[in-house]
Amino acid sequence: MADSAATPYAVELDGIWKRFPGVIANAGACLRVRPGSVHAVLGENGAGKTTLMNVLAGVYLPDEGDVRLDGEDRHFSRPADAIAAGVGMVHQEFRLIPTFTVAENVALGASPRLISRSAIEKDVAELAERFGLATVPGREVWQLSMGERQRVEILKALWRDAKVLILDEPTAVLTPAEAEELGRITSTMAADGRSIIFISHKLDEVTAFCDEATVLRGGATVAESLPVETLNGAMLAELMVGEATEVSQRRTRTAPVAEANALDVSEMWVTDVHGRNVVDGVGLTVRQGEIVGIAGVAGNGQRPLADAIAGLNSNGVGLVEVAGKDVSALPPRARNAAGLAYVPEDRIGVGLAPRMNVVENAMMRAYRDLSNGPFIDRDAAEAHAETLVEDYNVKVGQMHAPMAALSGGNLQRLLVGREIAGEPTVLVAAQPTRGLDVQGVAAIQRILLEQSASGVGILLISEDLEELFALSDRLLVMHEGRIVGEFDPDVATRSEVGAAMAGANAEADA
Amino acid sequence: MMNMRLVRRDTPLAGGQVRAFVVGLLIALLFGAVLLILSGHSPITVYSKMFDSALGSPRGWSATLTRAVPLGLAGLAVAVAGSMGMWNIGAEGQIIAGAIGGAWIARIAPELPGPVLIPAMLGAAVLGGAFLALGPALARSRLGVNEIITTLMLNEVAIRVVRYLVNGPWKDPEGNNFPIAPELPEQSALPTLFERANVGVLIAAVVVIGFGLWASRSAWGYELKIAGSSEKTAEYVGISMRAKLFTVLVLSGAIAGLAGGIELTGSSSRLVEGVANGYGFTGIIVAALALMRPSGVAAVAVALGAVQIGGEAIQTQGVPSATSNILQALILFGALTAAVFSEYRLVRSAAVPSGAAA
Repeated sequence: MADSAATPYAVELDGIWKRFPGVIANAGACLRVRPGSVHAVLGENGAGKTTLMNVLAGVYLPDEGDVRLDGEDRHFSRPADAIAAGVGMVHQEFRLIPTFTVAENVALGASPRLISRSAIEKDVAELAERFGLATVPGREVWQLSMGERQRVEILKALWRDAKVLILDEPTAVLTPAEAEELGRITSTMAADGRSIIFISHKLDEVTAFCDEATVLRGGATVAESLPVETLNGAMLAELMVGEATEVSQRRTRTAPVAEANALDVSEMWVTDVHGRNVVDGVGLTVRQGEIVGIAGVAGNGQRPLADAIAGLNSNGVGLVEVAGKDVSALPPRARNAAGLAYVPEDRIGVGLAPRMNVVENAMMRAYRDLSNGPFIDRDAAEAHAETLVEDYNVKVGQMHAPMAALSGGNLQRLLVGREIAGEPTVLVAAQPTRGLDVQGVAAIQRILLEQSASGVGILLISEDLEELFALSDRLLVMHEGRIVGEFDPDVATRSEVGAAMAGANAEADA
Repeated sequence: MMNMRLVRRDTPLAGGQVRAFVVGLLIALLFGAVLLILSGHSPITVYSKMFDSALGSPRGWSATLTRAVPLGLAGLAVAVAGSMGMWNIGAEGQIIAGAIGGAWIARIAPELPGPVLIPAMLGAAVLGGAFLALGPALARSRLGVNEIITTLMLNEVAIRVVRYLVNGPWKDPEGNNFPIAPELPEQSALPTLFERANVGVLIAAVVVIGFGLWASRSAWGYELKIAGSSEKTAEYVGISMRAKLFTVLVLSGAIAGLAGGIELTGSSSRLVEGVANGYGFTGIIVAALALMRPSGVAAVAVALGAVQIGGEAIQTQGVPSATSNILQALILFGALTAAVFSEYRLVRSAAVPSGAAA
């Protein structure tokens, strides 16, 4: 930092704070990027990476903190200011017009006046050539692969002469070959004196493509400008997930796990819209009364796996058995009736309908049982909701007020309570404590332990290693759609699990 | 820099629809009074005439209720689709299709006794409306094709078809070359209820109020509410969005078709090109005023019917039709604005928080 006056950083974000209602997205985050370097920004989902990048790209004004480019203070009040100052951003979701050609997309909004199509195409071709971005300027974007579209986005930024280029999880949509190609492109751009900010979860990419890495956690910078040569999987996982503190509240199992299986999943495959396998032949077993944890960095297939088990993913194929009964062919409602309860990752919007009231949300699983003929018995529905509210200590103002008025912890208690009210054989709980306050977390964890003690098999998907170590009987690690490791939380170390989460070879690191 | 923006209320105002309508009405009457004074009329005379002719006598009520029938059914049709987040802009065409269906029954079986013929005609009207909604419903539920476009365009098709029929094969040979179909058999007319109102009022009331109850009390209505409120929650619970979208849009068309059948058997004595008379489009306003809730449609339809009948009546009092139309439009604007505010509130917000004040 001392020499920053002598050789100014291309980008300097200093003490950035950004608050949203109820959320602090950035809490004094810092980032310093040298000119002509590729700089990785690492962090879990919710660590504040995207917010920080949006501050740099002029989408948000920071509440506090300084933005400097080449040592000069900048105040971007809109994205156009940032673009004019030479900051370009390639978002995860591409912002291209499918029916326009490559050249038209590149020049859109950035050519001074009407000029001939062939002239633009020629200029775009030259630019592409210079940076090794193979493309055909005259083709329409809808015909292109995801990798080609990404190159168009990069060309857009270069066309506007971006000196700083932000790539937000650029490899998430790419095939391995395309990802390697991207690595070559970023080094060409860096050699040209431009600075690249590369947001990623993946250690191997970071070590292969980047020069330095900054790690964010909870909106703040926990490690700044580490040379990538010094990184290893365990260290990175520790930085991203948190300090390896002693686990104090490790559960003590009172009753042994039953022999009978609550949930069997085998040969589960899920493809995404681009045809990639996001769940890649997963098999797992949860015995009755057992808590099986799934650890993993967000976006490694946990969500599609959980959805596919619950029957919600139409692109999923695989065998699902609940207490030995094959439910693979059954729709979601029948799977639920067969004893499969599901607390989805999005409690509001999937698990609960925000604009419907407490009573209506409480009876979503039971309304057919609460009906006389075609009509719902209102008193029974009311009573059902009141039982849930009392049993799970849900604080509601009014039973007929919309769900959205409740706090996160209360929402989740109602949702979890509703799911286990049907006395399931197995409960799939995805990120059940994410975003809750301390009491909220404790309440949900207590419910999970109670359910386990009464014989319910629980598949607990979480990004919180602390929680997984504390609750799980067995711990599986998911990486790029596969189960890459199984650990006994009583003996495993956080570094071992962290390394597996980061995709490093677990045995080599242990 | 201050910006205003609308923010959805967590809870809609209690009794929002009623309050909205009353407040909107009062504001509109106030502005209307200024307008009337400027054009040399006494607002009190005009307003009392409006009220008398629409709601001041059994005869007035009969006219208002008769008008409320097509408005209420068309409004219900739009609101039913709206409860699933769909816009049925094709109620106008579906009314015509319903009327064609009814008229067709009367053509092929004119000898049937009234108690058989009328239900048959109304049934055919329901099927006709549903038929016109079938294509959009299939396209929406199977392929995700926007129903606004398809239903809107089918209006044109329905209008062309009825025009063809009354100018061609169904043209009345004794109609002095007017583009009208022959008179319907006498026994096809809906029996009179009181004054000018016929049994259609009862049928519409049962359908509109009954559907409101069904939607709010039944498991089917509950599923509809989940599907309309949060698509992903519906899938999570195991409700088929495809089936719901399809059923609801066809049902919407069927209800509009019934409006066409009642118009045909009740108010007109023959099939004419203008049988739908814009009711299908006014139905969109009715549904909007009812905040897309089927339970609110009946009251709004009667209120709007009264405004229309009253507005038409004052034209006989020397108030130009333009002024009368402006008055009606003012009332609609007032009520619609108020309806919006029962669900949303206006908040002031600084354009961008000026943060980097270091």
